[in-house]
Amino acid sequence: MIRRFLGSRALRKFSRDKLALVSLVVILLYLGVAGAVGFFGFIDREDTTDRIGPDNQVGWFETPTVEQRIHALEFYLDQIDGALGRRDPAKALAAIDFFGLRLASTDPDEVGETLDEVAEPFDELYEVLEEDAFDDDPANEERLGDVEEGILGMFVEPEGGAGRFRRLALAFGTDRQGRSILLRALYSIKVAVQIGLVSALISVLIGTLLGGAAAFFGGWVDAAVVWLYSTFSAIPYIVLLMVLASMFLGSSYEGTLVPVYVAFCSTFWIGPCRVIRGEVMKLRELEYVQAATAVGFGRMRVLMKHVLPNTTHLMFINFSLLFIGAIKAEVILSFLNLGVKNEPSWGVMINQSRQEVISGFMWQIGTATFFMFALVLAFNVLSDALQDAFDPKHV
Amino acid sequence: MGALVEVRSLVKHFPVRGGVLNRVIGRVHAVNDVSFQVQRGEVLGVVGESGCGKSTLGKCVIRLQEPTAGEVLYEGRPITGLSHSELMPYRRKMQIIFQDPYSSLNPRMTVRAILKEVLTFHRLASGAALEERIRSLIEKVGLRPEAADKFPHEFSGGQRQRIGIARALALDPEFLVADEPVSALDVSIQAQVLNLMMDLREEFGLTMLFVSHDLKVVEHFCDRVIVMYLGHIMEEIACEDLQERSIHPYTRALLGANPINDPDERRPLTVLEGDVPSPYDPPKGCPFAGRCSIASDRCRSEMPPLETRSDSWRVACFEV
Amino acid sequence: MWAYILRRLLYNIPVYLGIIALLMVALRVNDPVWGFLGKNADQEAYEVKKHAMGLDRPFHEQYIGFLGELATFDFERESWTQQGRTVGDLVADSIGPSLAITVPAMALTTLVALVIAILSAYTRGRLPDKFMMVSAVLGMSISFLVYIIFGQYWGAYVLNDRLGTEVFAIQGYESGLANWKHYCLLPVLISTIVAVGYDTRFYRAVMVEETNRDYIVTARAKGAGKGRIMFVHMLKNAMIPIVTRVMITMPFLVMGSLLLEVYFNIPGMGRALYKAISENDFPVTEVLVALFAGVFILTVILTDVIYALVDPRVRLQ
Repeated sequence: MIRRFLGSRALRKFSRDKLALVSLVVILLYLGVAGAVGFFGFIDREDTTDRIGPDNQVGWFETPTVEQRIHALEFYLDQIDGALGRRDPAKALAAIDFFGLRLASTDPDEVGETLDEVAEPFDELYEVLEEDAFDDDPANEERLGDVEEGILGMFVEPEGGAGRFRRLALAFGTDRQGRSILLRALYSIKVAVQIGLVSALISVLIGTLLGGAAAFFGGWVDAAVVWLYSTFSAIPYIVLLMVLASMFLGSSYEGTLVPVYVAFCSTFWIGPCRVIRGEVMKLRELEYVQAATAVGFGRMRVLMKHVLPNTTHLMFINFSLLFIGAIKAEVILSFLNLGVKNEPSWGVMINQSRQEVISGFMWQIGTATFFMFALVLAFNVLSDALQDAFDPKHV
Repeated sequence: MGALVEVRSLVKHFPVRGGVLNRVIGRVHAVNDVSFQVQRGEVLGVVGESGCGKSTLGKCVIRLQEPTAGEVLYEGRPITGLSHSELMPYRRKMQIIFQDPYSSLNPRMTVRAILKEVLTFHRLASGAALEERIRSLIEKVGLRPEAADKFPHEFSGGQRQRIGIARALALDPEFLVADEPVSALDVSIQAQVLNLMMDLREEFGLTMLFVSHDLKVVEHFCDRVIVMYLGHIMEEIACEDLQERSIHPYTRALLGANPINDPDERRPLTVLEGDVPSPYDPPKGCPFAGRCSIASDRCRSEMPPLETRSDSWRVACFEV
Repeated sequence: MWAYILRRLLYNIPVYLGIIALLMVALRVNDPVWGFLGKNADQEAYEVKKHAMGLDRPFHEQYIGFLGELATFDFERESWTQQGRTVGDLVADSIGPSLAITVPAMALTTLVALVIAILSAYTRGRLPDKFMMVSAVLGMSISFLVYIIFGQYWGAYVLNDRLGTEVFAIQGYESGLANWKHYCLLPVLISTIVAVGYDTRFYRAVMVEETNRDYIVTARAKGAGKGRIMFVHMLKNAMIPIVTRVMITMPFLVMGSLLLEVYFNIPGMGRALYKAISENDFPVTEVLVALFAGVFILTVILTDVIYALVDPRVRLQ
C-alpha cells in the first residue's frame, strides 16, 4: 500500500507543487514544536504563567517609548520596595527571580542605599512625564538614561544557557501580566495542535463511518444518518458550539479541553459525513464492489476493506480543512469564555490582547496571530494542493 | 446429465418511488417469468438489446441481485432462499466475470493482493502453495508473472479482463456467468479474450452462462442461445441451428441486422419499425408486438407462451 | 410541483423534532434552575422556580408542551434575568439591530465577491486573478476576531483620534437611519472584509466551471466576444448555484453576527442569545435557539423549492 502511494500520480503531482512542499515542512515544524512542548516539556506551564519581567514590554523590533521605559523602571522599583518592606527583607530580596534575573546584592542596606539614590531623580522624571513635558528638555533623555543605569544596574542577568533563554523569551515582549509572549505563543502551538488533531481525527472518523455506512447499506441506516446530520446542521454553527460547550459549565470537566472536544467533534463530523456519503454512493455501483460480494465477502467487510479505503484521499482533505476549522473556532470559543481556560492558547492570547490594542500595544495579538496564520495558511495551501492532486477538475 | 443450473419462473422488478410520501408508484419489469436450464458442461448464451434484462438475469442467477420471485436451483437444490452463510459453499462454485474492465478491479490492490484475498478467504491455500496458485492463475490467463505486483491502472483493458477471469477462476468454480465480458473491448482484443475463455472452458470443464448483446459472438462461442426481449424469452435454440432454423421474428431481425463481410451479397433487410417499449410500462400481450411485422390482434392482447417445438428448441410466438 | 413542496415540508418535520429534542436535552444537562439561582439558593426557592417553569414535569411532557408553544407562536415566556420582559419582547427588539448589520453586510459582501470573482474568472490565470486569489487565501488564514479587534482599533480609535471627531462609535447602538453610519457601518465593513474571501473563491470556482462548458466553447467558436459571453451566457447559468448559496446564508441574517454584536455591544439577536446563555436565562435560550433552527429549516425548504423551480431536473426526483 505504501508502494502504491509513493508511486501514485497524485503524489508525483503533489511533489511538483513547491508551495505545497513548503507548507508540509511548516506543518512538520509546528508538529515538532508541539511534540517538544507536549512530550518533552521543552516549555512547561510555569514558563507560560510566571512573570518574566515588567508588563507590556515591547519585543526586539521596537524601541520602547519613554512611557514604557519609565513604566518598566517603576515595576522594578516596586519589586524592590515591596521586598524591603517585608519582615525578612534579605530573604524577600533573594526571592526576586524573573527567569534568572536577580538582584546583584541582596543585602537590604546596600539595596536600600542604591534605591535612595535613584528614587528622587526617578520621581522627578515621572512627574515630568505626567505633565507631558518630557520632550521639552533634551537633558531629560540623559537623566532617564542615568536612572535606568542605576536601577537596572542593581540586577544581574543569568549566565550562559539560562541567559540566552531569557533573552530569547523576551523577543516578542511581555503581556499584561509580565509573561513571555513568545513562550506563551509557542505553548499555544501544542494546545492548537492537540485540539486540531483530536477534533479533526475524531470528526473525520465518525463522519466517514456514518457516511460510508449510510450510503452503502441504504435503507433505514441512510435515513437515520441523513436525519441526524440534517438536525445538527440546522442549528447555526456558533450557536451549536455555544450550547454544547455551555453544557459543561459547572461540571467537573470545566476548565479542561473536554468541552472543546465535544463541541467540535459534534459539529465537525457533518462535513466529512456528507462528502464520504456522496463518494460511497458512487463507489458502491462499481463492479469491483459487486465482485467482492460475488466472492462471498460479507457486506461489512466489503465496506471496510474495499469501499472506504478508496475514499482516503477525501478523508485527508477533510482532515486538513477541519484542523483549520478547529483552530479558528477555538479562538471564537475562547473569546466567548467557553473555550480553553487553564492554559494559554492563541484564542486566550488574542482575547486578552483586546485592552492592550487600545493602548497601541500590538505584540501579543501580533505574535499570536502570526503563529496561527502560518499554520492555518500552511494547511490551506496543503488542502488545496491535495485537492488538485486528486481531482484535476478541481478549480 | 442433469441440469447444473435451473431457473424457474424468475421475476425481477425494480420499484420506482415517487409521489408525496416517496411510496412505490410503479415498477421496472426487468425480468418476467423466465425459466430455463443450463446443462453441465455447456455454454448457454443470453442475447438481446440493451434493457432486455439479460444482465439482471445473470446477476440474479448468482444472487448478486435478489429475485423478486421465482427460484434458482443449483444441482437440483434451491439457492434462492439461502442465508449468507448457507450460500457460502455455492459461492465457491459459481463465479462471475464483469463487463467493464475499468471498474471491475479495486484500483488500490495489486493483482497478487486481489487473488490472495479471494484464496485466503475461502481457505484454499496458504504459504508457498498460495504463491504457486497465484502464479499459475496468472499464467493460465496469458499474463506474465511480473503482473502479480502491478496495479490495475498499469494494464490495458484486455489485460484487465484477463485478471478478472483469473479472479473468477481462483476458486475453481464449476459455473461461470460472463456478463458481457468482451463488450467493452476493441474488436481485435475481443477475439483474444474469447479464445482464452474457450481454452479455459475446455481445460476446466466449465459450465457457462454467456450474456451478450452481440449475436455473432454468442453464435461463435455458445452451444445454445436464449433470445430475450423486454424481460421475456422469445426463443431458445441450439447455436448450430440458429441461422437456418430459428423462426421468431425478433431472432430473425437480430440475425439480419448483423453486417456481413461480403459487400456483393445482398440480403433483404428486416427493418424493425416502431420504438422499444419501456420496461416501466410494458404493454399487454407479446412485448415484441409493437415492432413485429406479422403481429396480429391476438399477439397484442395475449402473451404467447414459451412452447417447446422440439428437443431444446422453444419459441414464444402465435404467428410462427 | 406541490407534491415536491409537500414532500420537503413533511421530510423536515422529523428533523425539526429532532433538533428540539436535542436542544432540550442539552440545556437540561446542567439543571437550569440551580444554574440560575446559584448553588447556595435555598430549597424552597428552587422548588418554586422549577415548578413555575414546568421543569418538574417528566421530559416528554415538557417536550410536547414546548412544541405546542412553538407551533402556536406563543412567545409569552418571561425572561429570568430581565424582569417583566417576555421572549416575544426580546425578539421584537433585537431583530432590528441584527438586520441593520447583516442585511447590508450580506448585500455588500455578495456584490464585492461577485465583482472580484468575475474579474478573476475573466483574467483567469493571469496576474490580477492570482493576486486576488492569493489575497483571499491569506485573508482566510486570520481569525475573524483579529479583524474585529483591529477593525475597531483603526476604524474607531485611531480614526477618531486623527480626525478629532467620533466618526465611528466604539460600541453601542441606536436605532434610526441617521445613526446607522455611526454605529453600524464599521461592523458591516469588517464583516464584509472577512466574508469576501470565502464567497469569492466559491463564485470564481462556479464561473470557471461554467467557462469550461461546451456551450461556452461553442459561443466562442461562433465568434462571440469574451465580455458578451461572460455576462450574457455564463452569468445566467452560474446564477443557480450562486443564488442557492446566497439563500442558504439567509437564515444567518436573522441570527445576526454573534461575534460582532457581542464585541460592539449591539443589542441584536446574537447578543441576546449570548447573554441568555451566559446569564443562565433558560427560557430565553430555549426559545431563541428553537427559533433560529426553525427559521433555518424554512429557508432550506424555500431554497429547495426555488432550486426546483429553476432547475427542472430536480423536480423529477
